[in-house]
Amino acid sequence: MGVLIMCLLGLFALWRIDSPRVERFRAAVIDRVVPNLDWAMAPVTGTVNLFRDFQSYQRIYRQNQELRRELQQMQAWKEAALQLEQENARLLDLNNVRLDPRLTYVTGVVAADSGSPFRQSVLLNVGARDGIVDGWAAMDGLGLVGRISGVGDNSARVILLTDTSSRIPVTVQPSGQRALILGDNTAAPPIDFLEDAGKVRAGDRVITSGDGGVFPAGLLVGRVAQDPGGRLRLRLAADYERLEFLRVLRDHAGVRIDDSGDLIAPDVAPTSPEDRAPNPAVAIDG
Amino acid sequence: MRALFALLCAVVILWRLLPLDTVPPGWAGPDIIVALVFAWVLRRPEYAPPLLIGITVLLADLMFQRPPGLWAALVLLGSEALKTRAPGLRDLGFAPEWLAVAGITLAITLAYRLTLAILLVPQAPLGLSLMQMIMTVLCYPLIVLASATLMGVRKARPSEGGGRRLRI
Repeated sequence: MGVLIMCLLGLFALWRIDSPRVERFRAAVIDRVVPNLDWAMAPVTGTVNLFRDFQSYQRIYRQNQELRRELQQMQAWKEAALQLEQENARLLDLNNVRLDPRLTYVTGVVAADSGSPFRQSVLLNVGARDGIVDGWAAMDGLGLVGRISGVGDNSARVILLTDTSSRIPVTVQPSGQRALILGDNTAAPPIDFLEDAGKVRAGDRVITSGDGGVFPAGLLVGRVAQDPGGRLRLRLAADYERLEFLRVLRDHAGVRIDDSGDLIAPDVAPTSPEDRAPNPAVAIDG
Repeated sequence: MRALFALLCAVVILWRLLPLDTVPPGWAGPDIIVALVFAWVLRRPEYAPPLLIGITVLLADLMFQRPPGLWAALVLLGSEALKTRAPGLRDLGFAPEWLAVAGITLAITLAYRLTLAILLVPQAPLGLSLMQMIMTVLCYPLIVLASATLMGVRKARPSEGGGRRLRI
């Protein structure tokens, strides 16, 4: 009994001291357990969602009317978009622009969520076997969802933007202000560290800035909204109500993070040997 | 019955892991595993041995992204404390038992948060933790009722060598 409690506390102490090792162990355990239980979890999830859909059928007539109205507006937008697309294609052609070829992606299915109201993350069914690496960005079809942290062989954990440990550098368009999105366990995370909040208005687009090599630049994150207290918050573009398929963007440019559970890359060490030899103090100082 | 206990805990863990709601909820549900452990330990300690409790809660720790080990150790300590008090609580009816469980739950929640605070581990908002604790205490009678009626986990009768049966 006492031994058991000491073992558990010892594990906790070990986690506090050497978190990456224990986090790897955690990823391995989850990797072993969750994919094996997919046969049980998938049908239950499906059934529950079916019932939820069934409830929504009651509202179907009203929904239909709304959709018709929206469709009319969309027709107009579609026309505008088509014209813009043609114009854009012509301009790209004129400039001889080549789109970024590094941004390819792996698509995974959400297998489980964090299971706790305190952490916001989901587990994907793709992992190291599919070449997933810690630190890559995960998006749904609409916008940024989160960041890979913790990769098992067949599973990878995505820390969502709403998690309290999530910090994402962004740019607010069109003013070009840099800011940070701080996850705080609410559906609309606050926007902080703005240079000049006066230039930002509700409805502005928020995209990743690529600062610090955290993410590729230019991924859509959401739109600015203002809460009743006047604080600027982010309305996420991704559909957090239903995260089902996520794209993990391959990003070969950034720094590799080898410790699972870490979100911050180690300081970049100088690459060439002659950099390293004469003044090591620079490297340490970072 | 031990297998049933393990199975119940596994079902609870799996249910929580289902990706049904990925929007951050403004509230926290009860920690059903803790309520289950306390209810069974007070009624049939032999069905919920310490090793099984430790392993189950540790698995929950790992799956739910909690600091591994700490919560498991605290739940284990809490269940042992309840076990030592069980003979006194046996004849008193349900209210004192509920009170004792509430006290232990409060104690381990506070100890958990305090330890994390001392070790500078980032932790969840206090409100959510308290809400989870209160929900756990509130759902305790339901768990007791369910395990008594559905699974026959009642206090041992005099004929089985223990005290009297629980009056709910």
